[in-house]
Amino acid sequence: MICAGIDAGSRAIKVVLLRVDNLQIVAAGAVDQGVEQEALALQLLERLLGENDFHRVDVRAVVATGYGRKLIRAADQAITEITCQAWGVHHRLPQARTIIDIGGQDSKLVHLGAGGTVKDFIMNDRCAAGTGRFLEVLATRLGVRLGSLGEMAGKSRQPAIISNMCVVFAETEIVGLLASGTTPEDIVAGVQASIASRVAAMAGRSAVVPIIFTGGVALVPGMDAALEAALGKPVTLAPEPQTTGALGAAILAARRLDGQKTPAV
Amino acid sequence: MNRTARRITLNEWDRRYAELCAAGLREPDYGGPLRRHVDDGDLRLLKLRMDDSAASLRLWNFLLTEEERLHRARAEGKRIVGVMKDLGTVPVMAYALPECVAFYPDGAWWIPCVMERSAGLLDVADSLGIDDSFCPVRAMLGAFVNEAHFPIPEMLTCSVGATCDDVSAIAQRIEALGFPILWWEIPHRRRPDPEEAAVELPGEFRAPQSQVALVRSELQRVGRALEALTGQRLTQRRLSAGIARANRVRRCLAEIRRLAFTASACPLPALEMLIAEMLAIHFCSDQQEAICVLEELLEEVRHRVDAGTGVLPTDAAGVFWVNPVADLRVMNLLEDAGGRVCGTDYLFCHALDPIPEDLPPMEALARTALADPMVGSSADRAGRICEDVRRFGAEAVVISHVPGASHCAMEGAVIGEIVRTRLGIPVLEIEVPPITDSMEPTLRTRLEALVETVVNRRRR
Repeated sequence: MICAGIDAGSRAIKVVLLRVDNLQIVAAGAVDQGVEQEALALQLLERLLGENDFHRVDVRAVVATGYGRKLIRAADQAITEITCQAWGVHHRLPQARTIIDIGGQDSKLVHLGAGGTVKDFIMNDRCAAGTGRFLEVLATRLGVRLGSLGEMAGKSRQPAIISNMCVVFAETEIVGLLASGTTPEDIVAGVQASIASRVAAMAGRSAVVPIIFTGGVALVPGMDAALEAALGKPVTLAPEPQTTGALGAAILAARRLDGQKTPAV
Repeated sequence: MNRTARRITLNEWDRRYAELCAAGLREPDYGGPLRRHVDDGDLRLLKLRMDDSAASLRLWNFLLTEEERLHRARAEGKRIVGVMKDLGTVPVMAYALPECVAFYPDGAWWIPCVMERSAGLLDVADSLGIDDSFCPVRAMLGAFVNEAHFPIPEMLTCSVGATCDDVSAIAQRIEALGFPILWWEIPHRRRPDPEEAAVELPGEFRAPQSQVALVRSELQRVGRALEALTGQRLTQRRLSAGIARANRVRRCLAEIRRLAFTASACPLPALEMLIAEMLAIHFCSDQQEAICVLEELLEEVRHRVDAGTGVLPTDAAGVFWVNPVADLRVMNLLEDAGGRVCGTDYLFCHALDPIPEDLPPMEALARTALADPMVGSSADRAGRICEDVRRFGAEAVVISHVPGASHCAMEGAVIGEIVRTRLGIPVLEIEVPPITDSMEPTLRTRLEALVETVVNRRRR
């Protein structure tokens, strides 16, 4: 018997399949987000099921999370990404006390108490400067793939200082830096530091170690180091950081089957 | 009285109104179906869910007919006083005088929400250099300029000193446009020095006697101006009677709050609670009718509590709400997310405390004015919030920022930290502009996450 967690994020849809009896992950996957969110999510779900010799009837419960969670009508329940991240991270790293999640459209700081319960949380979804959107804008401006930014940052000798706190103005600043001969590698490293400093400002003094880094931006090499430098505290990259929200959703789906009531939304 | 209690849409209110009429509903002269306000431009009603009681219908109609009431008062020759940046003091003095009507021009800040910006008030403010870096109260500037809402008052007062920088700037702009203002000073409330003569204020604050004396003399100056305007003496007897009437409003609200925030089944939605609480500071331009509206509402609330009837599930997460919202719809959102309001600090807690009736009236008013949460430190305000959170049993706090409001720039962090430290409950900070439609998904996510957090904490 399995259950599924679907994280319909702003940039990607993630699905995790989980065995109900032992909470072992059967499969996990991600696809780019699109207009038909539910169709994309269900296609990914079907693909993962097929690859692992399961069928839809084997999926006993589905919980959706993320920005598009309400659009996944096939889900039995929609739960926010705050709660799901907490469950997913606690499952993997029970000692976690703070989660920093940087996604394509927002960033979050979640404080965890005993047993992985959420004590408090802070969200930034009003400013793109502390989110993956800044990296997307940068990749477009430099004409490179998003996936190559980490490698580029690793080659930086002197990260550029990005002064603007608004992505729109920062893009103009980047044009100026390029014109003045700053290397793309230094600009990428500068943008990474800028995102990290925005997130650190949001966290203030409240980030308690162990700090776990999740979200699609955590996949970008160098971002964890940038975050450590900005926070002045060690940061641990979550295993498969992009799918911790979907994992948490799958765990909550399993708890539904187990008769343990999940947070009602 | 209702057999059931529900939050209903405007379409549902159309049917409900017909039912109530068929059942013999008796309404005041400003009564009628809520739909007519949409026809008058109050488009936001189409997106709200409102309480289905006759008492709430009266409350809404009272709120949404204030402009008509003010124009009628003008036609009847009454003296109209606009009391800006005043949260509950000068109106008590004005209503102590016969044939004098006070209103709260700052209340125009809800017009961009209620009329979904169709009135263009913010555009007028923009054109006068008061842009969206200022609080939405800037809408009142537009209302003074286009004169399409309230009549221009014969007298304008505005408190200044320990008040919002942005509201002072807006008021200064209004004065510069040819609307003279009687400014009165309210000092920043400080703790008395060890040997300094001090007095008790409502809300369990203390302040130096010298500060109270300053405020008293300022209010006496306002009182003389009111006497000159009306040609009537603001006698101690009149003031005492005015204070007694204001206290009737406050006691009624205190009981509605106690019942609504502590009953196991929430008897009145957050939206109606917000509107009702606002009556404490300005009486919606008719003090006597405000008392009647609130007393009917209290009767409905009592009836629902006695019957165990509520408008929300009994397991709704209890949330203490800090600051009023520029978009009324957000109060619906909290309840849609599974929360209920269990306590509020809408910036005028002092206007909910009874004005002392055992003191000379002007001294009592001065002490009440100085108990204003906005003229003290954010830490003082947080202290009172913590007390009220305990009293009402709230499980989380939402600090709702007003975009552009100078007091919001720092107070959220201070209040949040003190609440977290003293009470250990989750705190959510949000910002609510006049129309939140475009950011509704993110607001909803935050509120839902807060509710989930509360529910998980209960299980733990």
